[in-house]
Amino acid sequence: MPVDQRRINGPEVSVPYHIYSDFDEKSDKVKHDFSKRSDKRTNSEMRKIFLKIGIVSQAKGSAYIEMGNTKVVCSVFDPRELSNKNGYCTQGEIYCEFKFAPFSCQKRKIHQQNAEEKQYSLILQRTLEPAVCLHEFPNFQVDVYVMVLDNAGSSLAAAIMAASTALANAGVPMFGLVTASTIGIYGNHYLMDPTDTEEAICNTQPDKEDDFNHGIITLASLPQHNQISEVFLIGSIDTNTIKQATEMLTAANKDICPVLQQCLVKTIMKLHNEKK
Amino acid sequence: MDTSEETSQSEYILRPMNCELNQLSMPDGSAMLMQGNTAVIAGIYGPVEAKPQKMIYDKASIEVSYSPIKGPTKVDDRMTEMYIKETCEAAIIVTFHPASAICINVQELEDSGGMLGCTINAACLALINAGIPMKFTFAAVNCMIQEDNEDIILDPDSIQLQEAKAEFTFAFDSMDKNVICCYTTGCFTETEFLKAMDRCKQASQYVFDFYRNLVKKYANVI
Amino acid sequence: MDSQYKIIHPVKYLQDHLAQDVRPDGRQFLSFRSISVNISSITHADSSAIFKIGNTTIVCGIKAELAAPKAESPEYGYIVPNIELPPLCSPKFRPGPPSDQAQVVVKLIENILRNSAAIDLKDLCVFKGKLVWVLYCDLMCINYDGSIIDACIGALTATLNTLTLPETLYNIETGSVSVNYTKRLKFPIKALPVSVSFAIFNDQLLIADPTDDEESLCLGRLTIVMNEDKICCIHKPGGIPISQDLFLRSLTKCKKRAELIRSLIDAAVSTIKQEHLNE
Repeated sequence: MPVDQRRINGPEVSVPYHIYSDFDEKSDKVKHDFSKRSDKRTNSEMRKIFLKIGIVSQAKGSAYIEMGNTKVVCSVFDPRELSNKNGYCTQGEIYCEFKFAPFSCQKRKIHQQNAEEKQYSLILQRTLEPAVCLHEFPNFQVDVYVMVLDNAGSSLAAAIMAASTALANAGVPMFGLVTASTIGIYGNHYLMDPTDTEEAICNTQPDKEDDFNHGIITLASLPQHNQISEVFLIGSIDTNTIKQATEMLTAANKDICPVLQQCLVKTIMKLHNEKK
Repeated sequence: MDTSEETSQSEYILRPMNCELNQLSMPDGSAMLMQGNTAVIAGIYGPVEAKPQKMIYDKASIEVSYSPIKGPTKVDDRMTEMYIKETCEAAIIVTFHPASAICINVQELEDSGGMLGCTINAACLALINAGIPMKFTFAAVNCMIQEDNEDIILDPDSIQLQEAKAEFTFAFDSMDKNVICCYTTGCFTETEFLKAMDRCKQASQYVFDFYRNLVKKYANVI
Repeated sequence: MDSQYKIIHPVKYLQDHLAQDVRPDGRQFLSFRSISVNISSITHADSSAIFKIGNTTIVCGIKAELAAPKAESPEYGYIVPNIELPPLCSPKFRPGPPSDQAQVVVKLIENILRNSAAIDLKDLCVFKGKLVWVLYCDLMCINYDGSIIDACIGALTATLNTLTLPETLYNIETGSVSVNYTKRLKFPIKALPVSVSFAIFNDQLLIADPTDDEESLCLGRLTIVMNEDKICCIHKPGGIPISQDLFLRSLTKCKKRAELIRSLIDAAVSTIKQEHLNE
C-alpha cells in the first residue's frame, strides 16, 4: 500500500497486542453461557438507551445515542443542490456516510471507509429513504454523517436511530421516525441487542450438526405506520426462526419509539421555554 | 549589537545573503536566494484567474506550493506552505485583485539551517520582482539559543543547530517592525523569547537593507 | 433579527459587537469558554478522553500496538498522532483525505509533543531492537467551534495521562511474545503542555479562545503552548503584524489559563485513579 503523505505515518507493520497469548497459558475460550449475559440482562432485554439531541452546534440537526457502551454521533446538514449531472431530479436524495472511529473497535480501523462501512452507509440510506418526504426537496441532497465512537454491538441499529432523530431535529420533513433493533441468534437462543462479544459468537457456526441456526438480524421499522423499512441479515437462519425474530424485533421497535419522541418533544419544549 | 552601526558589522550577524532575480523565464517574478548555504528559488504567477472552488469574490486568493529537494511533499511541508501563505497574505493588498489568484511556488535547493526564514524572504523578493502591490515588505530572521551557555546565535547553520535548545523564526514588517509570523521549536522561557525576538528585530534591518540594495541594482534592468 | 443580521453581513455583525466591547456570545474580549474533561469513556480504546471547550468537542482515543523498531533507533517506540476533521463536525469540511488544515494541526501537535518532551519514546521499548509499542493517538473532532488546537492538546494530554499498557514479555530465544492481560502498567508522562489560542483583530485587539465565527473573520491567530513555567511553542503563522506588547499580554493571560486547565485535567485523572483504588 502506498504511504499516505497527508498523515503522520507510523511503522509499516504493527500488530494489536490482543493476538498474543496470556502469561498463564490458560485457554480463555470459555464456553459462552447463554443463561447468563455478561451485563446481567435477560436474553430478551434491551440495553438502556440514552439519547441527546443537538450536540453538534455547527450542524443543522444532530443526535448522540448510547446503548450500553455503544456510542454513536450523527449530524445532518442543510440540503445542498445536486450537481446537474443527470438532469433535474424530481426527488430529493439522502446521502449517508457511516464510519467507525479508529479507536472504536477491538482492532484499529483505518481512516478510509472499508467495505463494511460502505455497506452500512448504503443500508442506512435505504432505511431512511422511505421515512423522509423526498418529494419535498426536489434536486437537493441532505447529508447524514454517522460516527461510531465506541462499538459495543448493535452499532447499526444505534446509527439508524441516531440518524432518524437527527433528521427530525434538523426539521427535514418525514413520514415518521425510524427505530431499529438487533437480535443475535445462536442455535435456539435469541439474544436481544447483542454486545460485540455476543455478536462475534452469533457469527460462528454452532457445534451441533443438525442445528445450523446462527446469525444477526437488524430490523428497522416505522412503528407509527406499522411498516418495515429494512431488514439486514447475516448468517444462516431457518424461516421459522426469522419469523419469530422479526416479531420480537418489531415489538421492540414499537417500545423504543416513545423514547425518541419524548426526547424530541423535550428539546422543543426547552427551546420554547427559553424563548419565553 | 546596534543596527545603526556599519552594515559590514551586521554581516557578521547573519550569514551572507545572495540573490538573483529573474532567473526563471516563465513566472511573472522570481528570486533565487542564498543565505549561507541554504538556498531556495521562488516563482510567482499572478494575478491569474482563480480556480472556481478557490475563488474569493472580494479579494485575491493566495496559493502556495512548496517542494522539498527530494521526495513528495509531506505533512511537514504543509506547515511551511501555511506560514508562507499567511505571511504573504498579510503583506499583499489582496483587495486590489478581487476574484483572482496569486500563486507562489517555492523550491528548496539546499537546506543548511533556517529554511523557513529563507523561503519567506525568497517569497518576498519574488513578490517585489513580480510587482504585486504590497502594504509593506517583510523579512524573516532565524535564531537559536545554545544548549549550554544560553547564548543567542543569529542565523545559525545546520552544524550550530545541533546544539540548539530552542530555535525561533520571526518575520517582521518593514513599517513598524512588528511580528507577522513566529515559529518556534524547543522549550524556552518568556525572557529568552523576548530577548530572541529583540535580537531578530534588530537583525531584520539588515535584510531590509539587502532588499533595498538588490532592488536598486536591478532597477535599471527592470 | 439577530440571526438574520449575522447571515446577511457577518463581518459587520462581528464588528458592531466588538465596537460595543462585547463578543457575539456575550463574553468579554479576554474571557474564556468553560471546559469539561471526561476520561476513559471509550471501552475499546486503551485510554481515551473527551475534551470540550465551549461547543468544541474532541474525542481522543489511543490504541497501542506492537511493532519492530527502526534500525537506526532500536530503543525508541512510535507515537503516531492523527487528527480527523470529519464532515460530521462542521459544514466546512467535505469527505475525503485530510485537508491542508488538518495536516497543519497534526504537524503542530507532533511538534508540541516533541518540544515539550512529554513522552520519552524509550519508555515504549519492550525489547531493544526487537519489539516496541506504537501508540496510535486518534483525535476525532465531533463539534468544530474554534480553538481546535487547544482542545486537541487538552484531549491528548488527558488521554496520555491515563494510558496504561499491559505488561509484555519478549522471549529472545523463541522470539515469542506474551502479554499479561490482567496487569497493566501506567505509562509515564513527563510534562503536561497546555495550549491557549487567541485571535487578533484590527488595532491590535486581542481576543481569547475564539469561536469558529471569530476565527474565520479574524486577521491573525496566535497559539501559545505552556509547559509548566516554560513555553514550548508559539505559533503565529502570519496575518496582521503584532507588537511585543501584545505578546506580553497574551503570555500573562495564557499562564493563568494554563494553570486552570492543568488543574482540571489533574482532577479528572485523579478521579480515575480513585476509582481504581476503590475497585
